[in-house]
Amino acid sequence: MRSEARAAAREALPVETTAPTPDATVREGEMEGVLHVVGELGFRNASVRAVLEYSGGHRRQFYDHFESLEDCFGQAYRTWIDRLGVQLLEAAIAANGWQESVRAALVKLFQFIGERPTIARSLFVEVHVAGGEAMVEHDAAIERLTLALDSVRVELGPDDAPPESTGLFVIGGIEACVCDVLAAGETRRIWDTLPELMHLAAGSYLGPEAADVAHEEAQALLERERTELEGGGR
Amino acid sequence: MTELRLVTDDFAAEGPFSEGSPLPRRLPPGRHQIPANVVREHQRQRLLAAMAETIAQQGYASVTTTTVSELAGVSTSTFYKHFGNLWDCVLAAYVATSDRLCATIEEACAECDPREDPLDVGIEAALSFCVEAPACAQLLCAQAPLEASAVAAARRILISRLAAMLRRGSGATAGAAQPPGLDERMIDATLVFVGSRIATMGPAQLQELAPELVAILSRPRQAA
Repeated sequence: MRSEARAAAREALPVETTAPTPDATVREGEMEGVLHVVGELGFRNASVRAVLEYSGGHRRQFYDHFESLEDCFGQAYRTWIDRLGVQLLEAAIAANGWQESVRAALVKLFQFIGERPTIARSLFVEVHVAGGEAMVEHDAAIERLTLALDSVRVELGPDDAPPESTGLFVIGGIEACVCDVLAAGETRRIWDTLPELMHLAAGSYLGPEAADVAHEEAQALLERERTELEGGGR
Repeated sequence: MTELRLVTDDFAAEGPFSEGSPLPRRLPPGRHQIPANVVREHQRQRLLAAMAETIAQQGYASVTTTTVSELAGVSTSTFYKHFGNLWDCVLAAYVATSDRLCATIEEACAECDPREDPLDVGIEAALSFCVEAPACAQLLCAQAPLEASAVAAARRILISRLAAMLRRGSGATAGAAQPPGLDERMIDATLVFVGSRIATMGPAQLQELAPELVAILSRPRQAA
């Protein structure tokens, strides 16, 4: 069942699995470059020149692949946010139980932030500045994650159902927390927020008792395995 | 243009804007008897209002000192007499708007019937503020660019102030101990939530969110 769900997640968020051609490799480098440059300099200060200085290649080649810097950012954003979304869903699916799934997805998200803080700044902070196509992809990703969070509703009776917008609220809280840490340049501090965010998620859906349990379990996990978790996906 | 109402009522009543003309509006050109400090303050209010309006309309990507100055009806050289750079103006607009939101909520809670739930009253007041001044609400809710670190810091201060209000408001109905930082997370989530709702449903319907928002903010504290 889990492998089927994982396959469904892959189907929903396709990742390139065929061997890349040299041209595709250059394009991939340009997309990583734009995310890196935007995360480093901010969207307002990014330029094609800065992207090419990071990725290599020629201006003409860049414009063969993309109409503009904004187009490049939009396409890069879609590719990377889809990949991250698959990773989060895979981590969630591999865990047993809703709370464990939420925690596993948060751990995976924090590991990504620790490994690629500059890219993460592009994906979570500067996308709000860029707007446009990237913001459409951002909102679609938020909606997918909200649906995943809402899966716990099937386990709740009608009297226990949380308000309709709870998922959007919780995801918004997680994203705001991530943005705050990234904007401050304190990416290691993100791990300190795991218990609070678990409390927010579990409390918003399941109430205070579940929130307290989720908070304590997240704290215990950090005390036991923080060093390993921080080094996680490397 | 959005009215930030950054000039106090007393100031407006005593000044040249007391004839019912909405603030901020450009002063009459040419020679007049308006004192220089009043002109200067009025220009500053117009620039702050124009900044909020420009960010609401165009986002942070394309806001410039030129677009803000044009909307405010002043020259760019006047802009730089008031602010060192674009981000100084954004920060000033953010802080002034934050103060106004907090004052609105505190005033509503202070004046409410003791039988009313202060959380309900506070949420209603905050959403009314957003309906009346949607550009200001968007300024407060929007994620600031990396280069505007002072605005991000101002946002954290606003979150702390609103979290303290949330603690006071919910303390009357619950009282259960919460982990440190939780109220700040709830407020942060609320700002993102309201910001996304302004974008999707428009400001006019924001008031309809009040019952749901109260339910969401109360749920982690409700007895099982």
